Amino acid sequence: MQTLLNFIIKHNHWFLFLLLEGAGVMLVVQFNSYQNATIFTSANRAVGNIFSIISDVNGYFALKSENERLLQHNRELLEQVGVLNEKLAQTGDSATIAALGQGTDGRGFIYNTASVVNNSVNSVNNFITLDKGTADGVLPEMGLFCDKGVVGIIYTASAHYSIAIPLLNSKSSISCRIKGSESFSTLQWDGDDIRHSNLVDLPRYSKLSVGDTVVTSGFSSIFPKDIPIGTIEAIEDSDDGMFYCAKVLLSTDFTTLDKVYIVGSKGYEEQKELEQSTTGK
Amino acid sequence: MTRDLFIRIRNFAILALVQALIFSQIHLFGYATAHIYLIFLLKLPRFTSRNELLLWGFLFGLVIDIFGNTPGINACAATALAFARNYFLDAFTQKGNADDFVPSVHTIGWSGYTTYALFNLLLFYFVLYLLELFTIQYPVTLLISVAGSTILTMLFTMVLECFTRKK
Repeated sequence: MQTLLNFIIKHNHWFLFLLLEGAGVMLVVQFNSYQNATIFTSANRAVGNIFSIISDVNGYFALKSENERLLQHNRELLEQVGVLNEKLAQTGDSATIAALGQGTDGRGFIYNTASVVNNSVNSVNNFITLDKGTADGVLPEMGLFCDKGVVGIIYTASAHYSIAIPLLNSKSSISCRIKGSESFSTLQWDGDDIRHSNLVDLPRYSKLSVGDTVVTSGFSSIFPKDIPIGTIEAIEDSDDGMFYCAKVLLSTDFTTLDKVYIVGSKGYEEQKELEQSTTGK
Repeated sequence: MTRDLFIRIRNFAILALVQALIFSQIHLFGYATAHIYLIFLLKLPRFTSRNELLLWGFLFGLVIDIFGNTPGINACAATALAFARNYFLDAFTQKGNADDFVPSVHTIGWSGYTTYALFNLLLFYFVLYLLELFTIQYPVTLLISVAGSTILTMLFTMVLECFTRKK
């Protein structure tokens, strides 16, 4: 007994070492599971504030190009409003217009804007820190996109900051559709190239060709339908030859990300509850 | 003693901010990132107790992790460095030297300090990238990243050595 005690006392740094490494590994593993404590990420208040200050300063250098992009986006939206107004005027029937207004059945979407305060693109599991949190109505599993296309999904949120998993994260997986052909697939990143991602498990019967546009499917009620993701650049057989795989050129440039939109589905809670009660989870 | 601790905490804060806001954002060729905060651990005095070393290592790694959204990865790697540091230091110190000193080119010489830093950094980056690439398993990427980052951080460590004065 005495020798054992002596051994422990003499080699106490070994035990401390194992204890600390254990704590570290636990943090690594825990972060992979959903809903971790935000205190160990840059969503915590102090670190979020530091990044906010830095991004405020950096933001000035990009003001001009950012303004131009917003103007461009504004112009496109105005054009769309014009076309829609025209169509409305053509129908001219107040009953139809009223019906259109109610047609969403609670499946409408709520939008919010946010600024990127910290963004990484170099790792296999990249994250984006945003300056909006639960106090602004941002919740985990909301969608994130910019004027060019889809950015990612909110992963965790503290009161004033949140962290999103961008498309450039090996854990990201987004339900998408090839525009004009009704083929559905999942977008997954292999951790290599920040301009490209991959469509996996496309059924053999899907019709697709190089240059096709990939958009969100609207199945998951995280994103509305038809937000652009990218264009197909190459098509290959999967390893087992049962499916197609496609290399997609992403429309979002993750290196210059600044202003983003957050989208949440109004009926999301309801749909999730229903799905969970059916699968019995 | 209190003054030493104050200086140590000041260095900690400066290095943490410089690391998180500047060096962690720079990735040469997508592989190499410099972790200059390790200089703090390399430069703790020779007879710092092992437990104290381990706690500094873990704490510093954790702070860098919180900034970079990589909980646990830097903490594990820096703890491993802190653990192995004294063994490496003993190996590269001249036999019979019983003084307490801060490891630098002035105390253990250029070759001694270079090899001491090199072994520590190699260990650190090996643990770091092993944990980061855990699920991906690309051995070639692992080796390139370890080699690239070690060289880059060595470069900064050596540049800093050129500016440190002999005490």
